[in-house]
Amino acid sequence: MSREQYTPPSTSQNNQQQGGAGAASGSGSYGGFNITGSGSLEDTTRPVHYLCGDCDAKVVLKKSDPIRCKECGYRVLYKERTNRMIQFEAR
Amino acid sequence: MAPPRATGVAPTDKKWSTEFDTQRRHKLFRDPPSKKTAYPSLAEATKPHVDSFNAVFAPNGQIHHALKDIGTKTFLDGNPANLSDDASEPRTRNRLQVRVREVFLDKSLLPPSNKIEATKREILPVECRERHVTYKGRFRGRLEYRINNGEWKETVRELGYLPIMLRSNRCHLEGLSPKELVNRREETEELGGYFVVNGIEKLVRMLIVNRRNFPMAIIRPSFEGRGATYTKYGMQIRSVRPDQTSQTNVLHYLSDGNVTFRFSWRKNEYLVPVLMVLKALVETNDREIYEGIVGAAGSKGLEAKQFVIDRVELLLRTYKAYNLYNRDQTRAYLGSKFRVVLGVPEDMTDYDAGTEFLRKIVLPHLGSYEVTESHDADKFRMLVFMIRKLYALVEGECSVDNPDAVSSQEILLPGFLYGMIIKERIEEWLTSIGISLREWSRNNQWPEFTSREFDREFLTKVVRKTNENLGQALDYFMSTGNLVSPSGLDLQQISGFTVVAEKINFYRFISHFRMVHRGSFFAQLKTTTVRKLLPESWGFLCPVHTPDGSPCGLLNHLAHKCKVVTESADVTNLPHLVAQLGIVGSSAAALSDSVVVQLDGKILGFCTPKQAKVIGDTLRYWKVEGTHGVPLDLEVGYIPESTGGQYPGVYMFSSPARMLRPVKYLPLDKVDHVGSFEQPFMSIACTEPEIASGDSTHVEYDPTNILSIVANQTPFSDFNQSPRNMYQCQMGKQTMGTPGTALKYRTDNKSYRLQTGQTPVVRPPLYNEYGLDNFPNGTNAVVAVISYTGYDMDDAMILNKSAHERGFGYGTIYKTKKVNLAEESKTKGRSAAVTHMFGFPPDGLIKAQWRNTLDDDGFAAVGMRVKEGDIIAASHTVTKDPLTGDYANRDGITHLHRYKDVEEAFVEEIKLIGNEAGSNEPCQSISIRFRIPRSPVIGDKFSSRHGQKGVCSQKWPAIDMPFTESGMQPDVIINPHAFPSRMTIGMFVESLAGKSGALHGLAQDSTPFKFKDKEGETAVEYFGHQLQRAGYNYHGNEPMYSGITGEELAADIYVGVVYYQRLRHMVNDKFQVRTTGPVTPLTGQPIKGRAKGGGIRVGEMERDALLAHGTAFLLQDRLLNCSDYTKAWICKACGSFLSTQPSVGQYGRKRFAGEGGRVRCKRCSRKAITLDPKSECWEDRKGERWFGGDEVTLVAVPGVLKYLDVELAAMGIRMKFKIEP
Repeated sequence: MSREQYTPPSTSQNNQQQGGAGAASGSGSYGGFNITGSGSLEDTTRPVHYLCGDCDAKVVLKKSDPIRCKECGYRVLYKERTNRMIQFEAR
Repeated sequence: MAPPRATGVAPTDKKWSTEFDTQRRHKLFRDPPSKKTAYPSLAEATKPHVDSFNAVFAPNGQIHHALKDIGTKTFLDGNPANLSDDASEPRTRNRLQVRVREVFLDKSLLPPSNKIEATKREILPVECRERHVTYKGRFRGRLEYRINNGEWKETVRELGYLPIMLRSNRCHLEGLSPKELVNRREETEELGGYFVVNGIEKLVRMLIVNRRNFPMAIIRPSFEGRGATYTKYGMQIRSVRPDQTSQTNVLHYLSDGNVTFRFSWRKNEYLVPVLMVLKALVETNDREIYEGIVGAAGSKGLEAKQFVIDRVELLLRTYKAYNLYNRDQTRAYLGSKFRVVLGVPEDMTDYDAGTEFLRKIVLPHLGSYEVTESHDADKFRMLVFMIRKLYALVEGECSVDNPDAVSSQEILLPGFLYGMIIKERIEEWLTSIGISLREWSRNNQWPEFTSREFDREFLTKVVRKTNENLGQALDYFMSTGNLVSPSGLDLQQISGFTVVAEKINFYRFISHFRMVHRGSFFAQLKTTTVRKLLPESWGFLCPVHTPDGSPCGLLNHLAHKCKVVTESADVTNLPHLVAQLGIVGSSAAALSDSVVVQLDGKILGFCTPKQAKVIGDTLRYWKVEGTHGVPLDLEVGYIPESTGGQYPGVYMFSSPARMLRPVKYLPLDKVDHVGSFEQPFMSIACTEPEIASGDSTHVEYDPTNILSIVANQTPFSDFNQSPRNMYQCQMGKQTMGTPGTALKYRTDNKSYRLQTGQTPVVRPPLYNEYGLDNFPNGTNAVVAVISYTGYDMDDAMILNKSAHERGFGYGTIYKTKKVNLAEESKTKGRSAAVTHMFGFPPDGLIKAQWRNTLDDDGFAAVGMRVKEGDIIAASHTVTKDPLTGDYANRDGITHLHRYKDVEEAFVEEIKLIGNEAGSNEPCQSISIRFRIPRSPVIGDKFSSRHGQKGVCSQKWPAIDMPFTESGMQPDVIINPHAFPSRMTIGMFVESLAGKSGALHGLAQDSTPFKFKDKEGETAVEYFGHQLQRAGYNYHGNEPMYSGITGEELAADIYVGVVYYQRLRHMVNDKFQVRTTGPVTPLTGQPIKGRAKGGGIRVGEMERDALLAHGTAFLLQDRLLNCSDYTKAWICKACGSFLSTQPSVGQYGRKRFAGEGGRVRCKRCSRKAITLDPKSECWEDRKGERWFGGDEVTLVAVPGVLKYLDVELAAMGIRMKFKIEP
């Protein structure tokens, strides 16, 4: 997506999104950049990516998985930085 | 921009100078050395901590001795209640003996219950920080027991987990190189010396205690209160066992000349006649004691000792009342008195109990286990010596020893205290086996220890019932700093032993390890004598580095070259050597004929004062030379003869916990380690020119050796008024700096970071030696001393707005918050089962608004900006399905965890924390790190390195700033009035030096005491010439032009480069404003406290000021309207608040209509009768009708007045108010 197409998220748009629950991710400006946060509600066990605190390997965790790196067994995982576009007012 | 990547490995051995050494530092930073650190001085700083911990578990270390000292505990079987009845048929009772043979402390590993991890089982310190847990190792002990002298049976018991000191010999980081440390996600210069307890770094701080094994003469008026005839004179010795536990013995002088022996055992004090102890120690007679104290019969000078002779005679005569004549009788007598106190086994004879008493309590440093006859003889001789010194003190022959001087002090090292607690816990545990055994026996009809039942159940039922978790006690000690101890460990305080090693900046952190506290007992003392800076402290404690305020003088810091010995030196050769140098076994009568020679509190013999000097000098020569088996760390305290001075003799110490410092020994031109006891009687020249031939034996290596690490960083501190240097030592530790480089792996609750740190242009070589460029602490700023806008009044400073925009002083705060689901469920009822889970419930309603900050996993998106009340995590309750093992949510309710701080922050990092048990449970706790950007704002505090702090009062636009002829603008403007009264000339010199350093590209050496006060060699001339060479004014002044009018200013302005620190006190953490807000329910007044939105009290003095100004309305506004202003009904007739009440019912429809309204005074009413007009009647809440009481009115009063009325009414006092008009 180019910078021009981007619109910042707002509550009103979120509410629209909520109204059309189940709509495929990517529809609407909000879902487009929100890769991790899709609007679909049924797929809640969708794995999220984490980074191992020791070996920096990508770890995919499902909801009830214990916290443990699959590669090295380390017990602390770091959440990846979001790929949502984050925009602040520069003042 | 970073310079191109330097190749090659930087040398680690090269000595550091004051130079910038940019390349070398860059290389060191990019390729941490894989062999050893480049900053050995830094590692030296925490050595006392690490080495003392190592000594605890070392072979032949503290615990080894402790276990021997504990020995075996003996328990007997049979019903104690029946014993007296069965006296007719005495049955020999079976004895059970238990002892701990050895203990093991493992490195930090995963618990054995974790079966998942096969190879990587170690737990590194960084993991403990990240997971907010304790860095601890498994602690086990080999318990041995036997019955009736049978075979010893052994079993290994799990004794819990002990916290482990970092970089100690039980830590994974021991002896690692910087490179390996980086691979383990530590700092390159990880120092260790602290513990990680619940993710927080804690250390045991060093405490000052009395010097061990040295009888100290003290005069304490409080001794007189101990009983009739007690005087203020005493002789105190802190006798330390090989396991570092101590026992203080005191001899008291009674006014009739008698002497009693006092000790405290398990927090109770006991008094014994000293002769009883003497006679119990060895087989002796009155003559031997007499001659030991007074001097051999026929020796010279006896006639002058009439004072002592009279008293010894009385001492011996009064003892006759006990009718104890030989050693065995005396021991048995002592044993019979103290057997209960000592807790010896019931079948022990009185004689043996007496022996036990002498072993444990009387001078245990001369033999605390495996005591032989010669040990007892040593104790006897020492006691006799103490009595002799006590009489000398009373007679005025010698002076008191000052317990507040470092010469009579040593340091209680962290490791030793730790080991002492372990010892005590082990002993308590062994004793508790006896209690558990009695319980078991009672429940099982007193079986014999020889029975099979006992054999079967001893370990499973008896030992299991005891509290074997010794680690828990240490964990509690480390996390709270409270000492729970039945004996008190011979210490004067029970709390405040541990502190958090705050990493606000590196100065703060390193200072914790050099900190020595006098003891919290002295903090309450009204007198200030203990806080005084004494000349004895020279070179051991820093004279500058102590906080001002309540801990002033109690909390000191070690001078940077001061070491603390952690192990005993090998002195086996010494008694032999001293004997060869000429000593005799017994003393003559007069001190001028014979003085004592002692080694570690053991009397080696006596010699003439002349010979004593020879012994002292010879041993010193040998010790520096390193020959004859005299160790360098030996302290040879030669105290010369004097009239009424310190008691003379040669006192040698080889024990650990002493303070030592290196100085140059002139005869050999080699390093000598000088202790605090010997130093006052030595002649150490401060600089080479000061060496007085024939007098000085030593010379100082550097005059700055007396300063602490932090005090050494103050540039040109010899130019400053001394309190300013103290302030800088304080402020240096409050600076927003760089706490370290492994910040990502740290989880401090709050940490500060300066984004734009620089290396100072003006610094001493020690700056590099301690590697402080790895932790920059401030910024070089162009400072003009000028009164320019008026915004620089009263210690305010003006910041150049452009400098601010370029990043001057830009800082960040990191805060770590932990969200723990397990903790939340625990409060409701303790259960290990998982009841909560992070994330949204699968079938629950998820509001889109929540998803603004949260991702699918129920955690906030990393990088998000959050404000107060934003959601940072979501969780839901779950129950485990026992069949499938899945967790299912039933209620569909999402629990939200919010960000509670007022300030906006960014989610920097989210850590999901697993468990070490290897169980399959889902994530139960997370740790979120927030980043709060703190660019400098008006009201933030800055300071130079000279105790010159100021608050930013304005960010002045660069175009309006004054400029010099070369077009330079200052970054900071300070007011000239900051200088005259404070006399921080060092700041002027720094300004000069910084300016010329910046112009020439030099790093300027700012070590104090380098310049002389002589024409041509002053600092000002030196830097002035440098400035001149650069084409600047010799004095550092420059013509300046007004930024507003462009006109030249009338005066030349002093401009230079000064290193500025940004302090962590910021308005954003401090401002407190309120118009309305929460109030105290009881009084209606505003609550206290900034965090709760409370107000600032207008106190009595503020009230006085308002009164004096005649501003009555303002006063009323503050004290009433903005406080507890209330309207209250009062009865004009009876003048009471309490009797008014609103009327209700049918008449209450016209509520509060007009003056008086529908509130009535019940006290002034009477029950309505039918004759009363209905409109005049009123009804109370019960429905009863009343008449009258309508003279009520509404008044404005403070809320507390009504409260006072109520309180007084409760006491039966009525308040009556007159209402006018």
